[in-house]
Amino acid sequence: MSPRHHPSADILASYATGTLDPGFGLVVGVHVGSCAKCRAQVSAFEATSGAALNDLPQAQLASGALAQTLARLDQIRFRPVAPDTRPLLERLPLEPKRWVAPGVWVAAVNTPRSAEDRVYVLSVGKSALTARHEHSGAEFCVVLKGAYRDELGVFAAGDFAFADSDVNHQPVVEGDQDCICLFATEGRLKPHGLIGRLAFELADV
Amino acid sequence: MSMLALNDGPSRILTLPRRKSVFVVVNSSELSDEDLLVRIGAGDRTAFEAIFNRYAPRVKSYLMRLGAGAAAAEDLAQEAMISVWRRAASYDAAKAKPSTWVFVIARNAWIDRLRREKVALAYQLANPPIEESQEEAPDAAVVRRGDESRVADALAELSEEQRQVVRLSFFEDNSHSEIAARLSLPLGTVKSRLRLALTKLRAHWEQYS
Repeated sequence: MSPRHHPSADILASYATGTLDPGFGLVVGVHVGSCAKCRAQVSAFEATSGAALNDLPQAQLASGALAQTLARLDQIRFRPVAPDTRPLLERLPLEPKRWVAPGVWVAAVNTPRSAEDRVYVLSVGKSALTARHEHSGAEFCVVLKGAYRDELGVFAAGDFAFADSDVNHQPVVEGDQDCICLFATEGRLKPHGLIGRLAFELADV
Repeated sequence: MSMLALNDGPSRILTLPRRKSVFVVVNSSELSDEDLLVRIGAGDRTAFEAIFNRYAPRVKSYLMRLGAGAAAAEDLAQEAMISVWRRAASYDAAKAKPSTWVFVIARNAWIDRLRREKVALAYQLANPPIEESQEEAPDAAVVRRGDESRVADALAELSEEQRQVVRLSFFEDNSHSEIAARLSLPLGTVKSRLRLALTKLRAHWEQYS
């Protein structure tokens, strides 16, 4: 089934032009990979950027840049790399899982990031309750497995969710599978209530 | 492969592996980017030089706008051009224009650098034309090529002012307030102009999807 919740056009544009931070780009990339409609929009933005490339002023290259590059061509050894076809969850460089509540684990994605950005996978079991929380900065989320529901509706595999400081929600798992999502957040989450604060503290998100 | 193109302009002489002695006269500046990429795919260095001269300075310029320092941008631009050399054999003119294709390679080089090559995931997933070109169905390719002309159409519908903010915001990665300062406009005007431009672009694409 194709996803029903999509990133906005400006997010897709930033993604296509390379201006999105890598962690956020990773989340958008997962959605785009499973959504033909957004893929078409990204292609359109890429074409726009390609056209813009032609109009850019030409930067001065280092002297001998061409000769240097030609010399580098000689050193290329073609080593065809077989495409990695494992499911995304297995390909992500995850740090060890940390169980933060019954049925809930978090694993940070090992990616370079600025001090305040966090990229992580969160898995919530069907009977676990998540804490109501709000966000101190932008949060991108894509569902990898299972589904959850919040005030905006049901989010299933491939669906993209954006939250910022205006959003205060309490997602609940939908269906009888664990729900696994990939998040990139800027700034820390602000959980409400003691248990929520404790869990988020343990999870270091 | 026939590579004979005669013309009056300044020309280069390439020697092919010897059987009889064969000279092929090529003036790369007369060839389209598409033709050049096809030649690069066959290992033609003269064609590579032409593409390098055309794109490397612009790619460097793009990378500097994304925030790379001059030295890093130089190095990455060279790296991107080496990727062009390595991947040219998989270039398919039916799927993307050369400028789009080179742009995507340059952008991916930048993203990979940002991630220090630890997580080469997101953009590979998202951009089958380069990473998994064999898997794209031919009809999907037609849609992609169509997208490009639609972008041109859609952009043509924007006012000059709207095009300008789209360019500054997405291509040059300026924040809304930087754009406001640069164009001496109130922040609200920049935001609404951008929102309007994106709504227009999106409406244009949605007609077709």
